Amino acid sequence: MANITKKVSWSSRGDEPAPAGEGTPLLNGAGGAARSYSRQFSGSGIFQIGRLSTVDLEEDPAPEEESAISRPKEIPHNEKLLSLKYESLDYDNSENQLFLEEERRMSYMGFRCLEISRWVVCALIGILTGLIACFIDIVVENLAGLKYKVIKENIEKFTEAGGLSISLILWAFLNSVIVMMGAIIVAFFEPIAAGSGIPQIKCYLNGVKIPRVVRLKTLVVKVCGVICSVAGGLAVGKEGPMIHSGAVVAAGVSQGRSTSLKKDFKIFEYFRRDTEKRDFVSAGAAAGVSAAFGAPVGGVLFSLEEGASFWNQMLTWRIFFASMISTFTLNFFLSIYHNKTGELSNPGLINFGRFDSDSVEYNLYEIPLFICMGALGGLLGALFNVLNYWLTIFRIRYIHRPCLQVMEAMLVAAVTATVSFAMIYFSDDCQPLGEDQAENYPLQLFCADGEYNSMATAFFNTPERSVRSLFHNPPGSYNPPTLGVFTLTYFFLACWTYGLTVSAGVFIPSLLIGAAWGRLFGIMLAHITPYGSIWADPGKYALIGAAAQLGGIVRMTLSLTVILVEATGNVTYGFPIMLVLMTAKIVGDYFVEGLYDIHIKLQSVPFLHWEAPATSHALTAREVMSSPVTCFNRVEKVGTIVDVLSNTSTNHNGFPVVTRVMDDDEPGKICGLILRSQLIVLLKHKVFVERTRSRLNQRKLQLKDFRDAYPRFPPIQSIHVSQDERECMMDLTEFMNPTPYTVTQETSLPRVFKLFRALGLRHLVVVDSENRVVGLVTRKDLARYHLGKHGLEELQLAQT
Amino acid sequence: LLTFTGSSAMVSLHLVPRLIALLLLLPGRIRSSSPVFNSLLSDLQGDPELEERCRDLLRDFGRRYESYVKCAVPSARPVRICENCHIQFEMLRVVYNNISSDQSEGSGSNRSATFLLRADRLMLVYMLFQNLEDVWDVAHCSQCLSGDGLSNITLRYMAKLNQSLSCFESQKNNHSELCRVCRADYKDLNEFYSIMEKNQTLCIDIEDSMNATRRLWSKDFNCSFPREETVPVIAVSSFMLFLPIIFYLSSFLHSEQKKRRLIHPKRAKSNNSLMNIQDKHS
Repeated sequence: MANITKKVSWSSRGDEPAPAGEGTPLLNGAGGAARSYSRQFSGSGIFQIGRLSTVDLEEDPAPEEESAISRPKEIPHNEKLLSLKYESLDYDNSENQLFLEEERRMSYMGFRCLEISRWVVCALIGILTGLIACFIDIVVENLAGLKYKVIKENIEKFTEAGGLSISLILWAFLNSVIVMMGAIIVAFFEPIAAGSGIPQIKCYLNGVKIPRVVRLKTLVVKVCGVICSVAGGLAVGKEGPMIHSGAVVAAGVSQGRSTSLKKDFKIFEYFRRDTEKRDFVSAGAAAGVSAAFGAPVGGVLFSLEEGASFWNQMLTWRIFFASMISTFTLNFFLSIYHNKTGELSNPGLINFGRFDSDSVEYNLYEIPLFICMGALGGLLGALFNVLNYWLTIFRIRYIHRPCLQVMEAMLVAAVTATVSFAMIYFSDDCQPLGEDQAENYPLQLFCADGEYNSMATAFFNTPERSVRSLFHNPPGSYNPPTLGVFTLTYFFLACWTYGLTVSAGVFIPSLLIGAAWGRLFGIMLAHITPYGSIWADPGKYALIGAAAQLGGIVRMTLSLTVILVEATGNVTYGFPIMLVLMTAKIVGDYFVEGLYDIHIKLQSVPFLHWEAPATSHALTAREVMSSPVTCFNRVEKVGTIVDVLSNTSTNHNGFPVVTRVMDDDEPGKICGLILRSQLIVLLKHKVFVERTRSRLNQRKLQLKDFRDAYPRFPPIQSIHVSQDERECMMDLTEFMNPTPYTVTQETSLPRVFKLFRALGLRHLVVVDSENRVVGLVTRKDLARYHLGKHGLEELQLAQT
Repeated sequence: LLTFTGSSAMVSLHLVPRLIALLLLLPGRIRSSSPVFNSLLSDLQGDPELEERCRDLLRDFGRRYESYVKCAVPSARPVRICENCHIQFEMLRVVYNNISSDQSEGSGSNRSATFLLRADRLMLVYMLFQNLEDVWDVAHCSQCLSGDGLSNITLRYMAKLNQSLSCFESQKNNHSELCRVCRADYKDLNEFYSIMEKNQTLCIDIEDSMNATRRLWSKDFNCSFPREETVPVIAVSSFMLFLPIIFYLSSFLHSEQKKRRLIHPKRAKSNNSLMNIQDKHS
């Protein structure tokens, strides 16, 4: 199979015979890269063999292999692809003449007003995000409460009369129906709303335009979907979706209009471009985190860790403002809901509860124990990720039809209910009811009167309540076997659930798994040490276990530490939590990447990490760039432009503008860069040289016209250009970016990478010594290099 | 172990030795003291009349304290503190209120409230009373008292409890018979208790007696519901668990595998030749 991949690379340049003279000088420089190429082939070969063995059930492998050799166009989905459907954001501003004119016209006061409106937007983001969090919280609480009440009454009735299997069926049925609603809206109306949304937001903040990710429709589907999936009893949380919701709110509010609702408030028009929008989205994500966990600082750090390209002091301060407002709003409205208006100490969506002062103590000798737990969390997290990786690949390949996806979600919901019921039914762990009634829906079943089934507190509850009871219930509330069985079941349930076509997060299930085994660990510790019961408080170990497990799965570091510290309201644990997360990350990274990174890869997103791959210094811009480049002249014929834009095989977005080319083979000198979106607006408004001459009173095109079309520029097919107009000319001078970033051919890949990452570039023109355009580097050209198990590997572009 | 014994019982049990110790110490504190040191000092401290009034109040407090503790300690197990001692506690509360609200002549440091309650670091009288009041609060005694006696609802509960217990007593030789005969009474009691629990009209006496009864019913007589539907539950569960296996197998076999079309990007010609050479090498 290694041959096939090699053929793929061959055929790509089979039609362009190489002049030998141009390639030779490079040889010595690119030796390392050449070696790593061959390694890459063997690596993907192994992978594909593994794939074939799964396929040969349905089709004979031999003919497929043959066809692959002759026409290697289609391959099964895998992680080593880059999808064409993702584009880059235009973070770098196009400083064309229109823009400069507008900036010059703006007074000092104008800039002050802009700054103030930025703050207003941030406040709005915070308020709306907090309200959404509040809404989700209240609806989930009531819906789940209703469901559990019905089932509890049913179980109580049938415990006495017999026929508990009917209760089981009722539970499974209710779960499936609720989850079905959530899955249908996601699968049929907005598939991008599936999952936690954190990978998508991560990509967006990284500078990738994920289609439809920040639309109003996505927000609505996301909110309804998460309510359904949490109330439907899946092993999921509502925190991840909150982050996505915050981001959508930010993107919507900052634009001052909704394209979906066709409503333009005529405000914040200045912010209608990718640069500003992305900054606001990072504020929205922070507000989401802050509402979800009651962790404003954690939210800011999340945005910085995952998103912002460079540290901008004012932006950070604004993000923090949005976070704080969001927590405040959530607190305020929840206090009204709980009839304690004005009491603002109610933390975020997930309330881990406060740790009492006597249980927070930890000692120096516990640090090694914490580190061990971190390592265990890393191992379990890696296992979780590997299992989920295979499952996701299977899902992408085989379960891609919406009805199948809905069915799968319903099955998972039914099985979750069944497994929970069986666990509760066969559990012998009975605990006395406490006076404080920490259990919301105590189930007695076969326990003595006045006692409740301890397994039911873990399963017969919304996940976050279970987390809280694992953290805070007094020692002895759970028997070790209960916890062990619970951990095991929930681990597989959560792993199976993540990646379904429902909107749901992985934070809470991870915390729950970790809290369960952490508590188990604490209980064991108390058993084996003579004086253990004094210091081995199970709640403390539950917290550390939760941190370890979550760290092992998502591999976030700084922001996660702060989020956990803030969510538990306890700075004392800062150090152990940091240690645990570090260990979990180190151990987990040894085996596999974090869950979000895996999902980003599986979605074939051209994601740029912080640094270029470590061994990529041997590569230069000459190898990386795409060439030859489609260029336009300063004054170009309309027909040419339309033809280039309509060409579906070359979906280019940026076109260098060059001085008139005399000789067809010779590349022209660069004088600017123009974007597809700008050309489309120009075509739409028919800004042709002939027309301007003939009608002098015609309105001059302004920046506003570009903003009004943003962000959904019409496709080229929708623009009608008549045969006469095709012969007209278009002057691009005014609209192109006259100062695009350029590099020479010898620039190393890490240097190019740094430019992209720090400046948020979309196109980087490669020029020769005489400023002639020889190539163009885009995000996909850079993202295709990544460090695999066998050195530097190259990803392939694919249509998805 | 059972309902509601948890924290409240722990507190009251924990306090018992302390109460006994105090009971023994109290009379000594008031009467005997080192004659030279203390009497001189108290003489010098001013108003003898106030002094005398305070001593009276203090003596009164001591007596009532004694009678309350004498009542409370024997009622510790099984807990009957609210029922047996509410009169004594009420009397103690009255005298304490007298002390603390004593407004008689003078103001500031001369009042006996200040003199008795806050004159020193220990604040013994205050502490003693506070402890007892805490016990009373933790026991929720006020929830089953009304006026100067047990509330109606408590009395009704007691009647139902006695009914169940006498039923238990009559059938105690044959447990299976007991479960059948007394189920109605016990259920009635249990439901009544649940209502009281919801209305927050429980005090430690009721909780404790209900715990004991429930323990009798569930553990000693073994009348809880047996787990007897294992087979249907297992059958339904395994059916449910079987569904996803079928689902995945069928979608694996029948669903068309999603293929991706590869796109070949334009690359520099130099790159091309490089690859040619490299291929020749390998």
